[in-house]
Amino acid sequence: MANIAKLYPKVVQTRRTIGLGLCALFLAGAALLQGQIDPIARQYHVGEASLGRASAEGLNSEFLLLPLLGFREAAAGLLWVRCDEFFHSGDYDAILPLVRLITWLDPHAENVYVTGSWHLSYNFTDANERSDRRYLAPSQALLDEGIVNNPNIPDIKFEKGWQNYDKIKDYNTAETAFLSAIKGPHGDETGVKGSDDYPYASPLKTLHILAHTYEKEGRIPEALMQWKAAMKRSSADLAAKPTDYSLKQLSAAEHHNYDETLQRWHNRYTTTGHDAINPTKYPFVLLPPPTGDQTPRPWDCAFVPKVEVVRPRVFKISGQFNAADGARIDVRITDWDFKDRNTTSIEHNARFEVDQTQTILVDALSERKNHFERELDMSKDPKMYNFSQPYYRVTLGFNPRGTSPHLQDRQGWSGEGLTDINPQHVMLDARPKLLGTKLIEGQGASAGPVWDGKSMPWPDHAQPVRIIRVTYKISKDQVMNLKPISEADQVPNEPIK
Amino acid sequence: MVVLAIARQTVREALRRRVMWVFLICGVFLITLGPVFGFLSPKDSTTVLRSLGLAAILLAGLFITIVTCIYLIPVEIERRTIYTVLSKPVQRLEFVLGKFLGGFATVFINIAAMGIVFLLMIKIQEGRFPPEMVKGVVLTFFQMMLLAAMTIFFSTFATPVLNFFMSFGIFIVGNLSTVTESLTTSRVPITRFVGNIIHYLLPNFGNFNIQNAIIHPTIDIQNEGAFIRMNIIYAIIYSAVLLVMAIIIFDRREV
Repeated sequence: MANIAKLYPKVVQTRRTIGLGLCALFLAGAALLQGQIDPIARQYHVGEASLGRASAEGLNSEFLLLPLLGFREAAAGLLWVRCDEFFHSGDYDAILPLVRLITWLDPHAENVYVTGSWHLSYNFTDANERSDRRYLAPSQALLDEGIVNNPNIPDIKFEKGWQNYDKIKDYNTAETAFLSAIKGPHGDETGVKGSDDYPYASPLKTLHILAHTYEKEGRIPEALMQWKAAMKRSSADLAAKPTDYSLKQLSAAEHHNYDETLQRWHNRYTTTGHDAINPTKYPFVLLPPPTGDQTPRPWDCAFVPKVEVVRPRVFKISGQFNAADGARIDVRITDWDFKDRNTTSIEHNARFEVDQTQTILVDALSERKNHFERELDMSKDPKMYNFSQPYYRVTLGFNPRGTSPHLQDRQGWSGEGLTDINPQHVMLDARPKLLGTKLIEGQGASAGPVWDGKSMPWPDHAQPVRIIRVTYKISKDQVMNLKPISEADQVPNEPIK
Repeated sequence: MVVLAIARQTVREALRRRVMWVFLICGVFLITLGPVFGFLSPKDSTTVLRSLGLAAILLAGLFITIVTCIYLIPVEIERRTIYTVLSKPVQRLEFVLGKFLGGFATVFINIAAMGIVFLLMIKIQEGRFPPEMVKGVVLTFFQMMLLAAMTIFFSTFATPVLNFFMSFGIFIVGNLSTVTESLTTSRVPITRFVGNIIHYLLPNFGNFNIQNAIIHPTIDIQNEGAFIRMNIIYAIIYSAVLLVMAIIIFDRREV
């Protein structure tokens, strides 16, 4: 120190002492400020994965510089541009790891969650364009992750609802997703300022599809209420924009759907208020045959299925189903112990890999003139249908909840007008969350009043859905056509839990 | 007045440097590339335009700041012009402050130019002026101010090449604030100690990264205003620390 005192003027020494003191003070201030900044900064990084992980999973160095400099979104945007190229060139396998990387880099890229999930659910198909159902679980998990990271965005919730409505036919999950989108982040149906649908939380189409979902669940008063809610919102929108033609059209469609649902209820379940669809005095779901016994009763579909294996791994499904043309017989071929929608979390499944040892085929055969028949060739896609298990479950059935309105006219929303001469073919799905509105007496609903056609809301859900189902248990030898399949391979339907 | 005179002269010299113009032109070019991605869906192309634009401003700003500031003091020493300056009634403190203000003003001019082009591009593509994007540009500017102070600090004792790598390296480490913050809660004591040092004592450039929220406006950030204010104060305080340290070192340096 003595030498320094000789070398530097006093002013420099003083400045140094004061400067070091100031530095220590300012550094402490900066550190304290950092402690205040951190909790708020965390909000900006919700759902982001570490760059180390992204790099390990295949993020190229050309894309790594931007995230290193703090520009994850720019890297994600450029990767999405590359994804777009792969979509157009049909290189679907290349898209999955990119979707995973993009959602890790930018967990708020809602379009990537939606498109990625749609891609997983619909675009991986066999030679006959039947989708690979094993991808449904990772697809749903991707949407769930997107919803957690973007609770304010209705699009991802809508996509989850739509896939459950259209693809998975899980109307209860669809209802939950649509309701969540409609309620929005504040639970009062208002959206975030600056969002596409502000002041609403979600677009009008969500209200429409929710009404259809309620109808598929057999909950007619709720479907009607939902149409009313849509009409109310359309009226308000129309009052603000009276010359908007698309709004007028939407409003007219909502009124039509409301009236049509109510008319269908009259035709199907009551003795009055019928139109040309049901000109009789009977509720359509209990309409007696034109001749013979005139006791009102459900329709006998007289289901006679036949399952054959014509070549190794090639099934021929045929049979009789007594219904109007257009009924769809659901076919499901799986491993005997297949666990539906069982997957590891995508957090541990970075490439959306599915269990290649599982086999599942889901299809629907169209019935015409009481007959259905189709060959299901599972031999061309060994990766998708590898038949590595000793036993398989073949299920053929009909569920009135998902069928067309012209068939529901006779069978009812919950199958009240449907039966089979073979009582073993008839099942009641009485899971509480799938119970519909009790619309008619004596068709399996629990005790309680029948809906009066007016009261809304009507919270009493008492009507189980009546479905037709036949199950076969077949061995691998039978799949390989080493042994024929016969009626003896039919097993009792397992109760639905 | 002396400080301002040195700053004015520094800006003039910096603007004469061709390499700076190259970075500026590259930045503007990258920003104007945004509409090329119009083939994506409207929402996606908006995201790409915004994220690429902000990235271009940051990248060009980063190189402009480093390239401008690493030479400010070494060039004066190398050309010996510093003798002329310091032989006048100019203190070393004023010299360092003047150089910093000059470099800072140069960076401001460049970022402002790129920011205006960026906002115009968004106005053209989206048909509206996006006020939220201004927040991104402003925070980038303060991020560069902090970087300029750090580069000036290193330039008082390191060669330009060494300065470039040190500044760039610390900028990248400082950008990984989410990583360094997670280290502060590590179960391993040594990792926790190092994490605390890096996170609280090194300049934290990741603080200024708010792109996610302004690119996706549906993200609900609580106390965003306070966050931006605190970051600006942080940049000013930390720049002051670096400048004071630069003055202390430069005071004692043989030139």
